[in-house]
Amino acid sequence: MASLWLVLVVFGAIYAKLDTSWFGGALPLQDPNFQTNGFIRETGEFGTGQPIEGMSGAHWLGTDAIARDTFARIVHGGWVSLVVVVVSATCGIVIGGFLGSLVGFVRGRTETVVMATVDVILAFPALVLLLALVSIFEVRNLFVISAVIGVLSIPAYTRVARANSLAVSSREFVTAARAIGTKPRRILFREVIPNVLPTLLAYTMVAAAFVVVVEGSLSFLGLSVQLPTPTWGNMINQARRDIKINVAQVIWPSLALTLTVLSLNQVGDFFQQRREVRGSNL
Amino acid sequence: MRRKGLYRSVAFLAIAGLIAGACGGDDDSAPADTPEETSEEAESPAEEPAEEPAVEAGDEAEGDVDTAIEEEESAVAYGGSISVGVEAEATGLRPWEDTCSSPCYNMMIAVFDKLVEMDVNGNYVPYLAESLTSNEDFTVWTMTLRSDVTFHNGVELSAQSISDMFPIQQAGAAGSSAIAAANLVSVEATGDLEVTYTLSEGGSAFPATLSRAPVGMVFEPAAAADSEGFSMAPVGTGPFVIDARDLDNETTFVRNDEYWGTDPDGNALPYLDSISFRPIPDEGTRLDALLSGTVNAMQTLRQGTIRDARNARDDDGADITLYEFQGNNVGGGMYNVLVPPFDDVRVRRALTHMNSQEQVIEALGGTGISLPGTQWFSPDSPWWSEKVAEAWPKFDFDGGVAILTEYVNDPERSDGKAVGEPIDVELSCPPDPTLIASMQVVEQLYTASGLVNVTMTNYDQQTHIGIALGGENGFVGNHQQHCWRWSSDDDPSVNLNPALAPPTAEIAEAIGLPGVVSPLNFSNWFSPTAFQAAVAATKTDDFATRYGLYESIMLEFADQVPVYYSGHTATAIGVESNILGLNSWHVPSGDLGIGFPNAEGRWAEVFIDS
Repeated sequence: MASLWLVLVVFGAIYAKLDTSWFGGALPLQDPNFQTNGFIRETGEFGTGQPIEGMSGAHWLGTDAIARDTFARIVHGGWVSLVVVVVSATCGIVIGGFLGSLVGFVRGRTETVVMATVDVILAFPALVLLLALVSIFEVRNLFVISAVIGVLSIPAYTRVARANSLAVSSREFVTAARAIGTKPRRILFREVIPNVLPTLLAYTMVAAAFVVVVEGSLSFLGLSVQLPTPTWGNMINQARRDIKINVAQVIWPSLALTLTVLSLNQVGDFFQQRREVRGSNL
Repeated sequence: MRRKGLYRSVAFLAIAGLIAGACGGDDDSAPADTPEETSEEAESPAEEPAEEPAVEAGDEAEGDVDTAIEEEESAVAYGGSISVGVEAEATGLRPWEDTCSSPCYNMMIAVFDKLVEMDVNGNYVPYLAESLTSNEDFTVWTMTLRSDVTFHNGVELSAQSISDMFPIQQAGAAGSSAIAAANLVSVEATGDLEVTYTLSEGGSAFPATLSRAPVGMVFEPAAAADSEGFSMAPVGTGPFVIDARDLDNETTFVRNDEYWGTDPDGNALPYLDSISFRPIPDEGTRLDALLSGTVNAMQTLRQGTIRDARNARDDDGADITLYEFQGNNVGGGMYNVLVPPFDDVRVRRALTHMNSQEQVIEALGGTGISLPGTQWFSPDSPWWSEKVAEAWPKFDFDGGVAILTEYVNDPERSDGKAVGEPIDVELSCPPDPTLIASMQVVEQLYTASGLVNVTMTNYDQQTHIGIALGGENGFVGNHQQHCWRWSSDDDPSVNLNPALAPPTAEIAEAIGLPGVVSPLNFSNWFSPTAFQAAVAATKTDDFATRYGLYESIMLEFADQVPVYYSGHTATAIGVESNILGLNSWHVPSGDLGIGFPNAEGRWAEVFIDS
């Protein structure tokens, strides 16, 4: 079920992106920013849509405060989460994974410096650090948000990679490789990193859940991508004003966020169990 | 030389309003006339209309939902305690120091009296003062205090107390600004109960200064020596005495048994034994606290909360009373007229025509609550003008498109873009859900024209203000189309003069007033005629003359459109229905007071109906 939900979210997000970017809204999904009570230039009149509407055939999950289709916005909202997760995972695995594997393998002063830096970064409350960094940028588009979250993901991946690299580096096959005079670089890339990578991939699912929550928090605070781009966080924020009139408008994006995080954790746990990753490694 | 001096005085006024503006909130008190002699017998400005009263200023507008200010029919009762949910903790309880907004004033007014208050007709009338008169040019004001008034610590109120307050006020953050704005240079005790205020430049609106917290709220000067301690244990002459102050939790005041005030029947005030204030920042939680009985009263400055409270009362049968108020404060925004393409009035006018107030108010949750704004005065203000209301550019999408098309196709267009290219507009509001919704309505309308590329941004309140202030670029600011609130229920000069003074050093230099710069002219629109009218209005107390001057300014606003409006700000105090008296407090003359502007209650005459 968890995997199915994730597949749905990813498929929906990609579908929505294709719809707006490639097909100009021709696919059967409403424009997430179309205000159904908005001004129609052709007729010179306002639309007849209703804000804060309940579920209906026209609007499966109702409409928001300015009469936009909530279902379409939830589907489109998944795109931001998806991009942020992919970017952060890529940054984490490529940079953090490499750094952690390297210092776990070479040890010494390099390890001390890198891990001290990582510890300092991790010592800051993640969200506070993120808020500070995001606030620096006047233009907060998807690239900026993804990049910032991606950079902040590196330390955690570094730590996971180092823990595994330490274990792998003391294994017999690495000792054997050293004994036969294999160059350290070759050992690192051929023996250590390939063995660290599966663990990192398993960790990615757990980290992705955290990243989705972080992006949602930023959106809720109005510090994620600029409006009117829909995200689950900004949908929750905008709907909370009308919570006494139509609580469903808060529930739907919250549910999407919750199910996604839950699913990522479930899938992550599954992979971690498969890799026998223990929390103590972190 | 004299005129130059007058203009400089306005610059001081501009600086004075800075802190209030930065807080995004209103100061206390309200609008109206500033008569030369403000006495208990002073006539209402509404009773002295302009010579050509083409207006029905002061009347309730159709759809206005203000709760009536009227005498309470029920018999008053002594005793009981109430708790009030307020939207934030008070920044402090030092009138001279702490820049307050509505929650803070609710607490302060329990413990301090003002020298001057506003009555139901909008007149500034003596309160702790007994009389207030000025000389002919409004540079010297003589005030006589009430006798037999004591502070909570037993010290008797005297003219010397007021005089001793002055240096403290001069050193205070809030007080110094207000003093500079009023051009107040000295406060002398010229008798046991007689105080003489001397102004460097005459100002007919000086009573407004005495009705506002920084200068008008009376505190015991000796107790104020310990400034921090005073904030936790304030000493005033007000109806309640501080009992306990637990920051961010609850502040409790108990009855002042020695209070000087009485109701019109001679009954000693206050009626309640105690009153406490609890900060509850979340709007929904605060309303729920009232509905569940956790608090007995709550205040709100949000239309959505008023709507929810109405629904709870009307649909769910909640036993509450809502005291609603809608004053001059009006939402909307501004165009930075020093930044292309907003330097061209065609663009400003076109964008305003394309902006549907009705849709924006709906997005703000204010349908049926908030009246559309056309000027800096609400229809029930004596300063409101029908001429201005008619002149204000209304929603006319095609008309707006036609004007904007003219600009876009102008080879000399100010933004330097090629003929036919859409204009770029950065629309910015703080990240409040209601403002975000309204912003997106405007974006949809502009985008529908095909002539506007809209970028929406939202920054926290402090950054939003900083962007408009533009301290780093000579106060030009980095904004384009910027959400903002305008006006208050103070005397019009308080808000208008800083907003009309030269916005930059270059402009000031160009008009021969070097150094006279108002950082509070956020739209950067400068009109010599409007500025002169604003200054002239502070030099007379004739209502008709002042009315005409302010009307001319508002007409110029309607023509040049440096700002735009959504709806007037609705506020409310909700109480359990057995709590009465909030809309029937009196000034010492026996007339009704202004009521509960900006969700600021006067609690001395509140009682629990048994």
